[in-house]
Amino acid sequence: MTTRTTLLFTLCIASLVGLLAALAVLVGPANANKDPVTPQQLKAYEDAFMEQVKKGDLLFHGDAATAKQMNVVLSNTGMACAMCHPFASDTHPQAFPKYQASMNKFATLRDMINWCIEKPNQGEKIDSDSDAMKALEAYIYWSNSGSVLVPGKY
Amino acid sequence: MSELDRERRELAAVLQRPGVHPDPSLRLTRRTFIHRSCLTGAATVAQTFAWWPLLNTIDVAYAAEEPFKFAWVSDTHLYPKSVNTRFVEKVQRAAREVQAMSPPADFMIFGGDLAQLGRANELELGVELLNEVKIRKVFIPGEHDWYYDMGAKWKQLFDKPNWTFDHKGVRFIGLDTVTHGPDYWTARKMSPEERMDHMATLDGSVAGPWAGVGRDQLDWMQKTLADWDKARPVVIFSHNPLYEYYPPWNFWVRDWREVNEVLKPYLNVTNIHGHVHQVLYNEIGTMRSIGMLATSWPWPYAPEGVPKLTKPMIRADPGDFYDGVGWETLSMKNDRIETEYIMWGRKEVFVQSPPDSSLSQPEILRPRIADQIWPY
Ligand SMILES: [Fe+2]
Ligand SMILES: [Fe+2]
Repeated sequence: MTTRTTLLFTLCIASLVGLLAALAVLVGPANANKDPVTPQQLKAYEDAFMEQVKKGDLLFHGDAATAKQMNVVLSNTGMACAMCHPFASDTHPQAFPKYQASMNKFATLRDMINWCIEKPNQGEKIDSDSDAMKALEAYIYWSNSGSVLVPGKY
Repeated sequence: MSELDRERRELAAVLQRPGVHPDPSLRLTRRTFIHRSCLTGAATVAQTFAWWPLLNTIDVAYAAEEPFKFAWVSDTHLYPKSVNTRFVEKVQRAAREVQAMSPPADFMIFGGDLAQLGRANELELGVELLNEVKIRKVFIPGEHDWYYDMGAKWKQLFDKPNWTFDHKGVRFIGLDTVTHGPDYWTARKMSPEERMDHMATLDGSVAGPWAGVGRDQLDWMQKTLADWDKARPVVIFSHNPLYEYYPPWNFWVRDWREVNEVLKPYLNVTNIHGHVHQVLYNEIGTMRSIGMLATSWPWPYAPEGVPKLTKPMIRADPGDFYDGVGWETLSMKNDRIETEYIMWGRKEVFVQSPPDSSLSQPEILRPRIADQIWPY
């Protein structure tokens, strides 16, 4: 508690109003029970995300074992997503949602993923809340994570 | 500074010295898309777009003895018919159109990636489909043709992966940029299928920097050119571009420095290449470089490294399998070589305004991750 004592002492000299405000922040409500996030927790959250990114990467690159395990048929032409989108380029997740001319509708990234599965790949459309969809979305966003958000851009 | 930045700066320092261009007597014709502003400095995207005239041809000057045309077809990426007939139909169309050229082309060059997964039946299907083309045909390999059986079938069908011939005052060289890949399979005990799958993944990291010419072939090229007048035209066909564009996708050859050393004395060198599945133009030292379309599918431009001299092609409609792809005729007449991109179903091959181009939406991308950990 050394830090807090020193800080409070300094604030006492400053002003009474300042002291009261500082106390409220430092002490918090009597029933507070939340701890700051720990490095272990952060790692676990990051791992949970990267697990999806890896699955999505494999699906995106046509890995047959992963597709089978997740019970999806993303292509029937031998084509995989990455064959037109190396490093998930030209997927432009940062531009969704937008009016998508090829579908003639206002579309989300998930709509677009399903369009590619059904049209060029001639695969089977996947449920938009499915694990495979979330994994594909995770990989595409992760790959493009340096890009700037431009929702609606053609 | 990243490794890529360092390489790129070195490329600029070594090859793009001020005042060094292909053939100093070269006459850029009025129809060329290369504008002075692009040649002399960094043009912004907006400036570049503003300068693009509405043209579908590349014109560069040079002296052939008599006019002639040849055709380029590449990157057909054939699967067996049972898997995919879409690519088969496009090869049939290209073959029909090449054969219908009037006057006929003097020869057709096939620029590699005939097969998708290097299987014998894919390569044989390619031969069968291209039998429709009755003029002389020459072939160089792509990485997709080679790494299932390490070129056994390809060599049986097409003989040597590199060659040279003279035609009407031009020395043609077919260069092999795909067979010198470092061994990534033995230590990992890969099956031929696994080896091929990694090679067939453009953005994979396992096959590494496989594109290269190799010392033996550099020596061969030097010898081949030794008796050739330095001012006479040389056309070099290769699967990969002979400069550095984007190494993570092997849009380069790793020994571009050595290639430049060999070619430096020759003032009139044109490199025509496949692999990138996109329109590209660049000038490096005394060599100009022209990228060709695939018949199968277009690759997007890399997120960085697109040569300033390139006028980008149109952003393809993914719902139209005939968009963004096609073949080329190249005519050599009087004092120039002219490239005509035949992009099926497109009135304009090149972008007309920024929204036409995938480059108008900047991307910052990460390399993939899963192939480093699963299963290797
Ligand atoms: Fe290719
Ligand atoms: Fe290739």
